[in-house]
Amino acid sequence: MRLRRTVAALASLALALPLAACGGSSGSGGSSDGKLTFFSWDGEDTMKPVIAKFEEENPGIKVEFSNAPPVAEYISTLQSRILSGTAADVFAIAAENKTNLINGKHVVDLKDKPFLENVPKFNQTTYGGQDGAVYGLSVASWGAGILYNKDLLAKAGATTIPKTWDEFLALCHKLKDAGVTPYLESVQAMSTPLSAFLGAESAADGDSMDTKIFDGSAKFKDYWVEPLTQWSRLWTEGLVTPAVVGLTGDQVRTEFATGKVAMMVAGPWDIPGVRKAAPKLQIEMAPIPGIDGKPPYLAGAASPGYAINAKAKNPAAAEKFLAFLDTPEAMALYQKATGAITVTTDFQPTLDPALAPIVKDVREGNIYLPQIAWKRAEDILNVEATAQLQLLVQGKASPEQVATALDIKLASTS
Amino acid sequence: MKQRRSPITSVVMIGLAGLVGVPLYYIVVNTLKTQEEMTRSPLALPTHLFLDNYQRIFETVPLGRSFLNTLIVTVAALVVQLLVGSTAAYAMAMRASRFNRIFGALLLLGFIVPGQSTLIPLYRMLVGAELVDTLRGLVVIYTGGAIFCYFLIQAYISRLPFEIIEAARIDGAGPFQIYWRIVLPLIRPILVTVGIFQTMGIWNDFITPNVFLSSPEKSTLVLQVYRSVGEFSTDWPSFMTMSVLVLIPMVVFFVLTQRHIVSGLLAGSVKS
Amino acid sequence: MSASVLTPAETSTGVPAGAGRPPRFNWSRARETSANQLFLVPVALVFVVLLIVPLTQTFYWSFTDFTGYSADVKWVGLSNYHKVLTDPSMLAGLGFTLAFTIGTAVLITACAIPLAVVLNKKFFARNFVRSVFFFPAIPSIAILGLVWGYILSPLGSGVLNSVLNSLFHAGPYPWLSDATLARLSVIVVAVWGGAGWHAMLYLAYLQSIPADYYEVATIDGASARQQFFHITLPLLTPAIVISNFLLMTGGLKVFDLPFTLTKGGPGYSTYTITQSIITSGVAQGRYGLASALAALFTFAVALVAVAQLWVSRRIERRVL
Repeated sequence: MRLRRTVAALASLALALPLAACGGSSGSGGSSDGKLTFFSWDGEDTMKPVIAKFEEENPGIKVEFSNAPPVAEYISTLQSRILSGTAADVFAIAAENKTNLINGKHVVDLKDKPFLENVPKFNQTTYGGQDGAVYGLSVASWGAGILYNKDLLAKAGATTIPKTWDEFLALCHKLKDAGVTPYLESVQAMSTPLSAFLGAESAADGDSMDTKIFDGSAKFKDYWVEPLTQWSRLWTEGLVTPAVVGLTGDQVRTEFATGKVAMMVAGPWDIPGVRKAAPKLQIEMAPIPGIDGKPPYLAGAASPGYAINAKAKNPAAAEKFLAFLDTPEAMALYQKATGAITVTTDFQPTLDPALAPIVKDVREGNIYLPQIAWKRAEDILNVEATAQLQLLVQGKASPEQVATALDIKLASTS
Repeated sequence: MKQRRSPITSVVMIGLAGLVGVPLYYIVVNTLKTQEEMTRSPLALPTHLFLDNYQRIFETVPLGRSFLNTLIVTVAALVVQLLVGSTAAYAMAMRASRFNRIFGALLLLGFIVPGQSTLIPLYRMLVGAELVDTLRGLVVIYTGGAIFCYFLIQAYISRLPFEIIEAARIDGAGPFQIYWRIVLPLIRPILVTVGIFQTMGIWNDFITPNVFLSSPEKSTLVLQVYRSVGEFSTDWPSFMTMSVLVLIPMVVFFVLTQRHIVSGLLAGSVKS
Repeated sequence: MSASVLTPAETSTGVPAGAGRPPRFNWSRARETSANQLFLVPVALVFVVLLIVPLTQTFYWSFTDFTGYSADVKWVGLSNYHKVLTDPSMLAGLGFTLAFTIGTAVLITACAIPLAVVLNKKFFARNFVRSVFFFPAIPSIAILGLVWGYILSPLGSGVLNSVLNSLFHAGPYPWLSDATLARLSVIVVAVWGGAGWHAMLYLAYLQSIPADYYEVATIDGASARQQFFHITLPLLTPAIVISNFLLMTGGLKVFDLPFTLTKGGPGYSTYTITQSIITSGVAQGRYGLASALAALFTFAVALVAVAQLWVSRRIERRVL
């Protein structure tokens, strides 16, 4: 380490002497009592009002905020910083890196802290660990369901939002017969309807589906085949083009906003875009219709939480910051900037009316996303699952083959 | 040598340029539309000039500061790269010893290694030297680009007539004088070309500043562009508007400098 | 006039610089030589500090269970290497990476050379045209991904599909959703982005071809086509070597463009090796594994680069 340091110092000296006059000063000063470093993927604009309010109420503390764009850049930047000991006191812990952070003991256990009292159990366990440990303060959740173009539906003579998957497919046929593209879904990541089906199934099984799969007492094949078969009916019944594996969410949303497709998968982040692009459109969101007599469900997860660095330079200020972040006033500021569905029990978010049908389910945690519920190897399985789903859509794989592929993948990671 | 200005060439090339430039046109034209218009007719010209995107960016993004940061880093890194690269190329041209040739071959490693493999170790190194989150640190990292400069310059030098250099040497000029007064002017075309390549590369680089900078005051322009990227969706109007703003200085730079990619050799001075 | 990438110039009399001198020790010569050698010090410093040292670290990590988060690692010997060679998903990108590299190298070279020749001529709006062709290389890949995604959209509303529909009544093609078409599309977009850049490189080299050559040839009655094949092309050989070296190494390391356009899909059809390295290192926290893949990959690319340069030198000697 010292040798590397001297070599690096020599090199930088030789090359940077002429620049001594310009260029900024070294960012990290000493760890003064009043400084708190904070790193997340929220934008500067989003967090500025929240941070300003915090500093106002805690005059001795100055917050130094830095960010990186989600998701991969954020994770890799955080990774390098933790490795080199330059990570912030408070940073965002996301589903994508929580396993690494928790197993590597890089984050502090927040169990029993007072500021967790108004956070729903679902959000606590998402970023939790053994024995009820909680590693992240997650104050919002997202849920994705189906977004309906009420005008197009009316044109085809449909008046009610379907509650079962069979009704949904019948509606698709009806729209198709009326000359309207019924439904589009970007298949470049885990599928929303599929996640909802799996979520309903898991909930009916006492939420133990993934525990069983990952401790070896069950296989993906035992649970996934029926949901996969139902989902693939969209293609086996000729309702959706297989070209959706090449469509991005943005493109689907553009088609929806221009009135070319009647229904699409959407989350809260889609609503502002649709409103701006098509202000006069009548839209309504609803959970994914259920299969096998199970209730409608949502795909979704707890939003990234705020975690305290195990090697934080200012842990006291970090705790104060977290305590502030889930107070109603901080929630109001955050919610205004992001439009997120916040979940703290003492604050009711104001949201676009189109979202009204799903808010309750999101806040109660009736949401599911495979890669977050999986116990380990999430990314490996997710990459494999996405590829398999694309093959399924193109008719190159059967539901059984997809489930088996996942089982094989899981087995290969142990 | 006089060349006839062929009008056919102009027509064909402008037409081709039009086709090739469609994506660029798409970016610029859509920053001048409302989101509704962009969704409905992305390729059409805007019905009326919608300047809100640019206004918003000018009001909320610290353009001046980021521009200055980017400028400082780009100029400093470029100068260092060109110096290091051309001095190495000169040395290689002056003496073809076995050692030099093997060394030159080793330098090719710089092109073979994927950047991601060295990112984390470099980061740790800079942390150790306390250069993270500084513009100086960025310049140090960019110095690695000198190997690319060396590569291009060296190949170019090796094709130049050596007599001019021999003549200067016989006249008693020292190595530095030969380098500065004779070789550098001779390699002007490749210096300008490499200069353009590297300037564009550094100006638009995202990964390096993203990893090595953290304070918002040190942000470069490209980092500001990525502010619009969200977890689930990107604010494309802002992203595109910022991208256009970042591109404009580069367009100006390119137009001004590419005229200098002209022959450094006077026709007739070479008798082969 | 002989020229090659790795050996420096010979004087025009064909004698290597410095050869044929009397063997007694010449002080001024020695001083001159060492002064010249000093010019290599800066690049050597850069090379060692910014490349060799980090590489050694990565190489070390490839033998450990490094997650990327903590420097506390355990030695695992060759197990990472074994996993790389036996796990099919690690090497899933190999096929496409190779296809991409060769495809772009050939197509870009075929486009860039004529383009450079044309851009070297004087014509109205030449500067404007030069800029337009060069600029695809400049905007961030993220934004180009958006634009090309829109142009190549598989729906009828996509730009290319609507143009094809109105001109030829050809049905909507799944440019990015069909495995083969996706691969082709990615390569075409890469050519679009790279041809102008490489044309600029060739343009610089075109400046070093003395105008006299063409004048003499014209006087002798050679047609433009003959001049191109017998003067321009041979004298551009060094530029071709360099350009292709960059295309080869760049192509093998490619990640941004395919990822932004297709995320490696559909299925694994446009997956790349670097994508494997990044995914296993960053998203999956298996940095030791990623380092092993990177080490093997570097070795493979080095072999390809050496082979390519060796072949190029033989061709150069033949042509010049």
